[in-house]
Amino acid sequence: MSDIIELPSYKEQSDSVRARFADIYQRPIKLEVKDVSKSFNTAKGQIDVLSPISFNVHRREFISVIGPSGCGKSTLIRMLAGLETVSGGQFLLDGKEASGPGADRGMVFQGYTLFPWLTVKKNVMFGLEVNGHSGTAVEQEAMQWIELVGLGHAAESYPSQLSGGMKQRVAIARALANQPQILFMDEPFGALDPHTRSQMQSHLLQIWHNVDVTIMFVTHDLDEAIYLSDRILVLKANPGEIQEFIEVPVPRPRTPEQMLSTEFLATKQRLEELIHPKEHTSTQDLPIVRMTSVNDNVE
Amino acid sequence: MKNSSQFKAPTTPWFAVRKELSAKRRSLLIAASFILPILLWSIVSYTPFIWHPDIKLEISADRENVTTVFTAGNHLSKEYFPGFVEAVEAENSDILAARASGESTTSGFRARRANLKILRHMAPVAIANGWLTREEAEDDSQLYQVWQGVAEGTLVGSKVKLSDQNIALIKRNWELLSAKSPTFVSKSLPETPLEKLVPQGRPANPVYLPAPHEVVIQGYHDFTQETDPDKPSMWQRYKHSLRIVFFGFMLSALVGVPIGILCGTFDFFSKLFEPFIDFFRYMPAPAFSTLLVAVFLAHDAPKIALVFLGTFFQMVLVVSNTTRQLDASLIEAAQTLGAKTFTMIRRVIIPGITPNLYNDMRILLGWSWTWLVIAELIGVKSGLTEFIETQGRWRNFDSVFPIIIMIGVTGFVTDQILASLRKYFFPWTPESSEKKHGFIGRFVLWMLDRKVYDTPKNGKA
Repeated sequence: MSDIIELPSYKEQSDSVRARFADIYQRPIKLEVKDVSKSFNTAKGQIDVLSPISFNVHRREFISVIGPSGCGKSTLIRMLAGLETVSGGQFLLDGKEASGPGADRGMVFQGYTLFPWLTVKKNVMFGLEVNGHSGTAVEQEAMQWIELVGLGHAAESYPSQLSGGMKQRVAIARALANQPQILFMDEPFGALDPHTRSQMQSHLLQIWHNVDVTIMFVTHDLDEAIYLSDRILVLKANPGEIQEFIEVPVPRPRTPEQMLSTEFLATKQRLEELIHPKEHTSTQDLPIVRMTSVNDNVE
Repeated sequence: MKNSSQFKAPTTPWFAVRKELSAKRRSLLIAASFILPILLWSIVSYTPFIWHPDIKLEISADRENVTTVFTAGNHLSKEYFPGFVEAVEAENSDILAARASGESTTSGFRARRANLKILRHMAPVAIANGWLTREEAEDDSQLYQVWQGVAEGTLVGSKVKLSDQNIALIKRNWELLSAKSPTFVSKSLPETPLEKLVPQGRPANPVYLPAPHEVVIQGYHDFTQETDPDKPSMWQRYKHSLRIVFFGFMLSALVGVPIGILCGTFDFFSKLFEPFIDFFRYMPAPAFSTLLVAVFLAHDAPKIALVFLGTFFQMVLVVSNTTRQLDASLIEAAQTLGAKTFTMIRRVIIPGITPNLYNDMRILLGWSWTWLVIAELIGVKSGLTEFIETQGRWRNFDSVFPIIIMIGVTGFVTDQILASLRKYFFPWTPESSEKKHGFIGRFVLWMLDRKVYDTPKNGKA
């Protein structure tokens, strides 16, 4: 582990990465978050889950939100999706204030929220139909999105017949079919096994590349955040507030091999420092209990 | 198949903690769960030394100066029966003594009538042994011939064996009878008092526990017999009862399900309706019966209303609870896809809860069956319950049991059919892709293919 310390700081980025961020920042702002905060009133008084935070998301940017548990990252994304009320501040979508849930903001949840009584195709058609579209055009459109996530063969299956990864692909297709301005993803791959998970990550990058969509992605997996994102919003707990906004120096297009590159590992180390500060991970204070007298030196 | 016996499929032991038994063993146990109670009933009914506290009379006798009249078929306790026999025997010996001393205590007409009564006490024996039909046994001349047959030894009882004492007695009586006339002429019955048949009987269980065969025979008889034109046949009664249950249940479902869904969806309706409904359901529906009769008058309306009252309040609470249990993330997903309130109810909540709603309705339909009997008792008694009531009063419990069993079977079979149809109604539910069938479904499959539950050996059957 010692040679990682020798790595250059993540801020010393290559020219190509610098150019990419310059390009991103000159794009129009898709989502503008202004002093958004969240607090609950309980019997013991007011609990601040999220202090007022502000940031901008640019068009077609991929932003991850990461932080220790209880930092309010899920709350933030649920507020932006309109599933929870905002205690203070406001957010603008394409310059217009948005409130309540709507078809302009898609959401993919950790749990498989497919409608179990509808086939894959009908699930994807749902959003189009409730927004007033009907006829064979809807069906064709839905099929396009299903093909996009590579599930054309399973269009007539029920969700209960699909694997976890397939279900999440349908959920992504269903959210994208509405052509939302921004797609929120709340730990979408959290319930998948590691292998499926890394497949889904590459798959998501491909979809993002092919579709005109801005993505805001909540995760607690550092590798996932770095591998997917342009920028990573690091939150801190009690109360939740922005700790740092990291510009990921790993060049695109991304491949799983980059996970061992110096830029990747340096970013990861920086994230580790922010999320798991040394003093919290120290095991020195823990009592030592020897259950047996065997003197095997395990460390 | 025979050659593949080197490989023996591992079987779950009979008592394995939380392990499913093999399909064959399961079916066996399911069959046993029905056979065991019937077996127990049969053992109690057909083993004379188990219980049998009563004597069921096969031959009875009238006693002088005693008002209690027993007829064949009546139950007497074992303690009382010997006293009854002794009393009749004592009367017989008085008759013989009087006859020997030549005194006559009664006049000719009265003696002839008393003797005719004695003649007629042979009727139950003649019917039970199949010598005469029920109608023929009402004909005194036919009975007269039975007396002759028994006395001459041509008729020997198979079902009811006459005791030696009675046969001797019958022979003595026949001597007197045949001396007067070889065939029945009411005017020429002997004026000498005849001896009374000594009561005979066999051990029996109390009248409220008829034997299985008695129930089956009586049940068959009740369902097939022609009834008076002004009285409903058993099938009409059955249909009538079904109608009460069905309409009561449908009515409460029509009102209760929408209200339940509203309560489960909107806290507004939940808080507005549920507290009162929760209170109201503790008031037993039968307590309202007189009120219902006053409001809805005498016929089916108050009965349907009672089934409604008995199920409606449960229905609202159960349905609202089922609605609340719908995965909230489905509703959130629909919201982010742009569904608004009404679309949400129509396209997410209702389809989402139907599989569970279906199960709720099955349970509540069973619930409404339990109100049937009480419902049919209020106002003008009707349907199967009226029959149970009447027969029960006459202590014809062999007629009562088939009806009770039939109500049970109807409810059970309906529920099993509904349960096995569920997978066809809701093909998306995980259990519909499982190869599991309900009790009736399994039976049908087994009838079609007897090998359907054999454990495949070697993986290739």
